[in-house]
Amino acid sequence: MAGNGIGMRRLLRLYALYARMDWAWLRRDTRLGLLVMGMDLLTAAASASAVFLLAWRFDGVGGMNRWDVLFMLGYVVCVHGLCVLFFSNNVGHVSRRIARGQFDHMMVQPLPYAVQLLTEGFAPFTAWQGLACGLGVMAWALNGLGRVPGALWLLGLAGYLLLSLAVVIGMSYLLGALAFRWPVACEEISSTVVDDLFGVLANYPLSAMPGAVRMALLTVAPAGLMGWFPACALLGKPPLGLPALYPLLAAGVIWGLAAFAFRKGLKYYAKTGSTRYRSYGHR
Amino acid sequence: MRPNFATLSVACREKFQGGLGPLLFGFLLKGGYLLPLLFLWRALAQGGADLGGYTLPGLLSYTCASSLLAPLLNVRSPMSNWHYDGRLIDLLRRPRPVFIELVAQTVGEWVPTLLLYSLPMGVALTLLGVRVLPQTLWALPCLALGVSLGFAVDFLFSCFIIHMKDASWVAHAIRAAVTSLLSGAVIPFDLLPWGLGRLFGLLPLGSLAGAPLAVYVGARAALPTLAVQAFWNAALWPLAALAFRRSRERMVSYGG
Repeated sequence: MAGNGIGMRRLLRLYALYARMDWAWLRRDTRLGLLVMGMDLLTAAASASAVFLLAWRFDGVGGMNRWDVLFMLGYVVCVHGLCVLFFSNNVGHVSRRIARGQFDHMMVQPLPYAVQLLTEGFAPFTAWQGLACGLGVMAWALNGLGRVPGALWLLGLAGYLLLSLAVVIGMSYLLGALAFRWPVACEEISSTVVDDLFGVLANYPLSAMPGAVRMALLTVAPAGLMGWFPACALLGKPPLGLPALYPLLAAGVIWGLAAFAFRKGLKYYAKTGSTRYRSYGHR
Repeated sequence: MRPNFATLSVACREKFQGGLGPLLFGFLLKGGYLLPLLFLWRALAQGGADLGGYTLPGLLSYTCASSLLAPLLNVRSPMSNWHYDGRLIDLLRRPRPVFIELVAQTVGEWVPTLLLYSLPMGVALTLLGVRVLPQTLWALPCLALGVSLGFAVDFLFSCFIIHMKDASWVAHAIRAAVTSLLSGAVIPFDLLPWGLGRLFGLLPLGSLAGAPLAVYVGARAALPTLAVQAFWNAALWPLAALAFRRSRERMVSYGG
C-alpha cells in the first residue's frame, strides 16, 4: 500500500515492466509510435532552431560564440529528452493527472506514490530520440569548439543533466500541486511550466540579459538552470560568479517546496476527491 | 449577425471559466517571453551586427507586435480540440454553417487576450518608448489577409487531425512545431541565414505572421506582400472547404 518501503530490485523490475509495456505499445501501433517519435524530434528541433539560426547568422549571440550556443541548445534538447524518456504518460505533466482524477487510480495501486511516479513514465523505446539527438548536437558543438571531453567532464555533464531534470520536474510538481485545489484552472499548469517556461526561455543565452533578469531566471523562474547555467559551467565559464554546484542547491530548495505543496494538496484531495466523477460531467 | 455575436459572447465568457487568476498568469508568462528576444536584439545591435535592414527600434516593434497580435498571427480555432474531445458534434447540430460558427467562436476567444493583455501591454510598451502602432496603414489589409489565411490553414490542419484519428495530439504538436519557425512570428525572415528567409517568405505559413509584421514595422513593401497573401488565400480556401467536406464523414471521436 501507499507508504510501504521498496527495494532497488523491485524498482528495476518495475522499470523493466514499463519498458515491456512501451515496447508492446510500439508493436501494437507502429505507425502511431513512429509518428510520436518523429513529432518529439521535430518539436525539439523547432524549439531550438530559432536561436540556433540566429547564432549561426551572427556567429554567436550575447557573449557566446555559435558553438557555445549550439552546445547549450544540445544540452537543453538532452534535458527535454530525459524528461520524455523518464516522465512520459503525464508523469512529468502531473497537473493533468491530478485534475483528471487519475490520482484515484494510483491510490488503489499497491505501491507508494513516489515509486509509481518514478517508474510509470519510463518509455525507453518510444522516447529515446530526444536524448540521442541532444547528445549528437553537443558532440558536434564540442567538435566545433575543439574540445575533447575527459571522464571527469563527462561525469560533470551527467550530474548537471540530472540536476536540470530535477529542476524541471520539481517545478512541474511544485506548481502542479495547485491542480489539487483548482483542477479546472490548473489542469495544464505543468505543461505551461515544462513546455512553455522551460521549453521557450531555456533556449536563450541569458548572457545577453541584464543581471537582474538573469538572477530571476536562475531563481524565481529557473529556466536558466535547464541550459544556460550548466552549459556555461561545463564550458568553463560559470556565470555570475555563482558556485558550480548552485543547481544542486536550487534543485534541493525546489524539491523541498514541491514535497511540501504536494503533501498539502494530497491532504486536500483526500477530503474533496476528484471533480471528474461529479454528476454533471466526466471532467 | 446576432447569432454570431451570441457565439462570440459565449466563447469570450468561456475563457473565464477557470477564473481570472490562470488567465492573468498566462499573460504574465506571455509578457515574460518577450524579454529574452528584446535583450537579444539589443545585444546584437550594440555589437554592431548587420540586422538585415532592420533598425533596433524596428526589431523591438516587430517582437512586441508579434506578442500583442499573437492570436491573429497564428489563428487557432477550437476545431482540432473539439474533434479530440467530441464537442465538434455540437457544431454539426447547430442550424449554422460550421465554418462561420468556428470563426465566431475563435474571435470570441481572442477578446479576453486582446483586452486584458494586448491593450494594457501596448500602452505600457508605448510609455517605455517602443512603437506598437503600425508604420503604415497597409499593415491593416495585410493583417486581414493573414487572419483569413490563418483560418484556412487552421481548417486544413484540423482536417489533417481528423484524418489522423487517434493521433490527433501528434498532428497538433507537429503543427505547433512547424508554425513556430515557418510563420516568422519569432524571428524576422530577414535575419535568417542561408537565404532561408526568402524561401520561408514565399511559403503559405510565411504569410501568416512574418509578412504582415514586416509590413507593420515598415521593413517590407506592402503590395508584393499583399499579392503573395492573396495568392495563398485564393489557393488554400477552396482546398480547406473541399478537405472539410471530405472529412465530415471521417470524424471519429471518443470524447473524454
